[in-house]
This record gives sequence, C-alpha cells and structure tokens, in this order.
Amino acid sequence: MTMDIFALFAPPNLIDSFLLKFFAPETMNYVVWPFIQIGAVATVLAGWAAYASYLERKISAFMQARLGPMRVGPWGLLQPIADAIKLMTKEDLTPDDADPFIFKYAPYISVVAAFIVFAVIPFAPDWGVITDINIGLLFVLSVSSVGVLALILAGWSSNSKYALLGGLRSSAQMVSYEVSMGLSLVGALMFARTLSLSGIVQAQGLDSIWYFFYQPLGFVIFFISGIAENNRAPFDLPEAESELVAGFHTEYSGMRWSLFFMAEYAAMIVVSAVAVTLYLGGWYFPGTWRLMASYPVLYVFVSLFIFVSKTAILLYLYFWFRWTFPRYRYDQLMDLGWKWMIPASLVNIVWTALAIFVVQALNGWGGLRTIQSLTHGVNLTWAGKIIMVAFGFGGLFVTAAVLSMLNWRSRDFNLKKHRRQVRLVNSPKGQTAVASITKAVTSDG
Amino acid sequence: MPLVNVPQPTWKEKLKRFFMIDLLEGMRLTLKFNVGALTDKNSVTGKGIYTEQYPKVRPNVAPRFHGAPRLNMDPETHESLCIACNLCALACPEDCIDVIPMDIEIMTAGKARKKKVLDEFIFDTSRCMFCALCQEACPTACLELTQEFELATYSRAGFVWDREMLEQGRETRKFEA
Repeated sequence: MTMDIFALFAPPNLIDSFLLKFFAPETMNYVVWPFIQIGAVATVLAGWAAYASYLERKISAFMQARLGPMRVGPWGLLQPIADAIKLMTKEDLTPDDADPFIFKYAPYISVVAAFIVFAVIPFAPDWGVITDINIGLLFVLSVSSVGVLALILAGWSSNSKYALLGGLRSSAQMVSYEVSMGLSLVGALMFARTLSLSGIVQAQGLDSIWYFFYQPLGFVIFFISGIAENNRAPFDLPEAESELVAGFHTEYSGMRWSLFFMAEYAAMIVVSAVAVTLYLGGWYFPGTWRLMASYPVLYVFVSLFIFVSKTAILLYLYFWFRWTFPRYRYDQLMDLGWKWMIPASLVNIVWTALAIFVVQALNGWGGLRTIQSLTHGVNLTWAGKIIMVAFGFGGLFVTAAVLSMLNWRSRDFNLKKHRRQVRLVNSPKGQTAVASITKAVTSDG
Repeated sequence: MPLVNVPQPTWKEKLKRFFMIDLLEGMRLTLKFNVGALTDKNSVTGKGIYTEQYPKVRPNVAPRFHGAPRLNMDPETHESLCIACNLCALACPEDCIDVIPMDIEIMTAGKARKKKVLDEFIFDTSRCMFCALCQEACPTACLELTQEFELATYSRAGFVWDREMLEQGRETRKFEA
C-alpha cells in the first residue's frame, strides 16, 4: 500500500523502462540520461536564476520597508517573465567603435562559464548528479574563473571608459580572491581526501558531520571570496554604479545584458552550491537515510530538497549582505584580499594539518580512540570530533592573532595612521612626527 | 589649527571590532525589517511597510493643498454659480483664465432685459501655478481649486480645461483598493 504511494515518486524508473525499448542500455546510461539531466538542470536553474532576481528585488524591498514588485501577477510573481519579455524585445545596440565580434560573444562566455559548473555539482545521490568526475572541485574552480574572461572581454570590446575600468577592476579583484578561494578549500579536502564533489558529500555523510564544524574559518573565507568573485556587494567594485555607471556592461542592452545578469545569478548559485557541498554537507542531512532507507527514490527527492534549501539559505545570505553593507573602497578591497584573506587561508591550512596530526597522534594514547577509519575521508569518533571542532573554532582566534600580528605594521600605510599624525602636531618641539603634514599645519597657523 | 583628536581605541572597542559587532548590528536591523515586512498582516498600511501604496491607497493631501480647478454649481438648481464678472481672470498673475460671457434676454419685472451670463470658461492648467488668487477673487465662491491632484495628460491640449471639464471634473482612472 505504502509502496504504491511512493511509486508516484518513481518517474525516473518508468521513463527508464520506457526508453529502454528504443535504446541500448549503454546508450541510455551514457547518452540519453545525461541529456535528460542536463535539460532538467539547465531549465530549472535558468528559472531559479530568474526568480533569484525576483527574490532579490523583493528582499531588498522588505529590508528597506517597501513592497517591491507587486503589479505583475499575485505579489508580482510573474515579474521575471515580464522582464524577460521586455529584455528580449529590446533593441540590441552595439556601440560604433566596439569590437563587434567580441562584444557579441562575451555574454555567452559568462553564461557558459556559470552554467557548466552545474555538470559536476551533486544535487542529490544516485541520479541527482550529471557527472561525477574525480577532479570535480578542480573543474569547478577552473571553469568558474573563466567567467572573469567574459567580463574583461566585455569591458574591453565596449570601447567605453566605464566599461574598461569595470573590466580591469573585475580582473584584479578576481585574481586576488581566486587565490584565497582555492586555498580555503584545502582544509576541507584534508578531511574528505577526494576532489570528487559526490565523494566529499559522502565523506561528510560517513563521518556524520558537516565540515562547517571542522572548518568554520574555511567556510567564512570561501564564502567571502565567493561574494567577491561574483562581484556582489559589498565587493561590487566592477559595477559600482556610483562611480562606473554599470561597469563592464554599461554598453550592453537587451538580451545580451540579461545574459550577464543571468550569469551573475547563476554564479551566485554555483558558489552557494559549492559551499553547501563542501561545508554544509551537500544533500546529506542527519537521519534522512535512517528514515528512508527502504524508499531509495523518495530518499533522492528528499536529498534534493535538502540541497536546494541549503543553497537557498546561502543565497539569502548573499542578498542580506548586499542590502546591509556599504561598498568597500578599492584599496580596502585589495587590502582584505591580500592582507587578510590569503594569509588567513594559509593559516587555516597549517592549523588544519596540525589538528589532523594531533588527532592522529592522540589515537590510542591512554586508551583514547579518536579515529574510526581513514578509507573514505577522515572518520572520527565522538572524542575525535569534539577535539576537531574545538580546533576548528579555536582556529578562528589563532588566525585572528596571527593576522593582527602580520598586519600590525601595515597600518603605517593607512588613513588611520594619517589621522594620528595630525594629532601628533601637539608633540613636544624638536620632534617632527611627519615633516610634510607638520609643516603644512604650522605654516597655516 | 586643524587638531583632530583621535583617541586610542579602548579594550572594549577593540573587542567589538574583533567580533564585528557593528556589522552584526547592521545585519540584525535589515533582518528585523525583512521579518517585519513578511509578518505584516496588512501589508499596505501595516507596521512593516512604510511606503505609500499610491494607486491602491489614496494619499492624504494637506488641507491647504491647491489642485485641479472646479466651477461650482448651485446644488439645488444645478446652474453655474459663475456670474461672468471676469474678476478671476483679472486676478490671475499667470493670465491663464479666459472668461467668455454672452448676453441673454430675460424678463425681469415685466421688462425684457439683457443679462450677462457665462458662455465658456477656459482654464489653462499648464500655466497655472495654483496660487488660488482666482479662488479668493471669486465673489460667488464658484471657482475653486480642489484637492484633486492627478492632472497629467497625454497632450498639451489636454491641459486646457473647458467649462464642461471644469464643472464635471476630468475623468480619471480609479484603481480598486
């Protein structure tokens, strides 16, 4: 009886048995099913990206005590569709002196770079992943950083000063934050011991913990770098509307502009999805397998729902940050990237290695067992987990201490120092604090 | 002498900075507004939304607001109160009123007499600055600047109101609440 109800959740099996009448099983596994998955993922994610823009407008409105789009459909729910129709019917302008070929194809690069990452992201177990390659994470990093090429090409080919400045800024920003993003992942990889994204999720499931608890610092660094990599506020320097009009897409209009827009939201979903996979357990949630072990199809759907909810929460964080924090100045952005994020991620690697070493060394010391197995990622016992989580959250303070030591002298080049120097005018005579400022001030008064 | 006194941060301020209390405070504020807007039962005038939902909800204009002009009529006889005295046109600093009178024959006390009545009243709202001097000049309280404020039209000619529009009011689209 119950099985009959759950048969409703089994369309994949029905489709499989239907299509097997026409195709060989090998064709089914390696050609037909991947195409179906790709079609489903591309469609759903394009819709998700469109509705992310709706949600962004709504959430920003709520945070500013407004209502947001309310006219098209109930609660403005059809707004993305109306937007799409408007953008598609708009004229597609190309500036006179633009490089037409590059100008036309730059948006496609950004969309492809954003969407192709979904090929390796495990949305759910079993058939919930399009392809599980063993260098999945490397693929994600390499492909998502191709997106910057589109921005540079768009900025360059527009033959506009605003667009060019936006493109240059975005390239500098992406190069600086790519490093810390890649380095922050190493800590999680030390626990997972694989680059396959499904493997990472399975490792977290087998250890029954989310790597966020082992790697809070890694998660924070990854997420901040991800925001910076997506050019989102407070790091939206490349499209700072108060300085650069619209940055790299100043000259774009119509559908090409909306492709950039879609790529931005898709890239946000990518970063959220990778962060969820690595640090928040992906589709793994404690207890779901125990509840649903006898209904594997339902388990896949529930896992899919869990993954999507986690990603949605991170997307909400994106919106929340954007509508709370003011934009960084350019030198502050570079400061944060090179002086804080990259050293922090390096400290995180060393600290994680130390933590794993300590946990391994404690195993079997005085009857204490910390490690269960090391075959599929690091599997720790309860004692080992407590030690590791303590190390993880203690690492925040250690990193803060190290960073403040590292950046102690860097304040010499800061505005704060400058302000202090003004104060030093009152210092005893014969001691020149800083010659130029003191002279200027004394000559005035 | 531009002396800027920058005190050294206290230990408490350093701790606040380390735990990013100010950033969290900002995030708490935006979240408060977000939750307030979502839990707002009556999202039009409730506590979570502060903006005016204009076409749905009519704004409350100030009591002394001067808007669209109107020619008042006698409520009983439904005849125009205007006696075509031309005082409003003389009072108007922008010269946007044209009063066009006409003479009609009426019988008063058995005698046929001529009487000046209003034929046509032209009011150019595009030139009007809504000073209401015409309203003050009107001896019969006929011309009045009402609190109606939706004066936009699709053409310049639409700004010139004739007698019928002034008496009936312009047709405006009403949105359901």
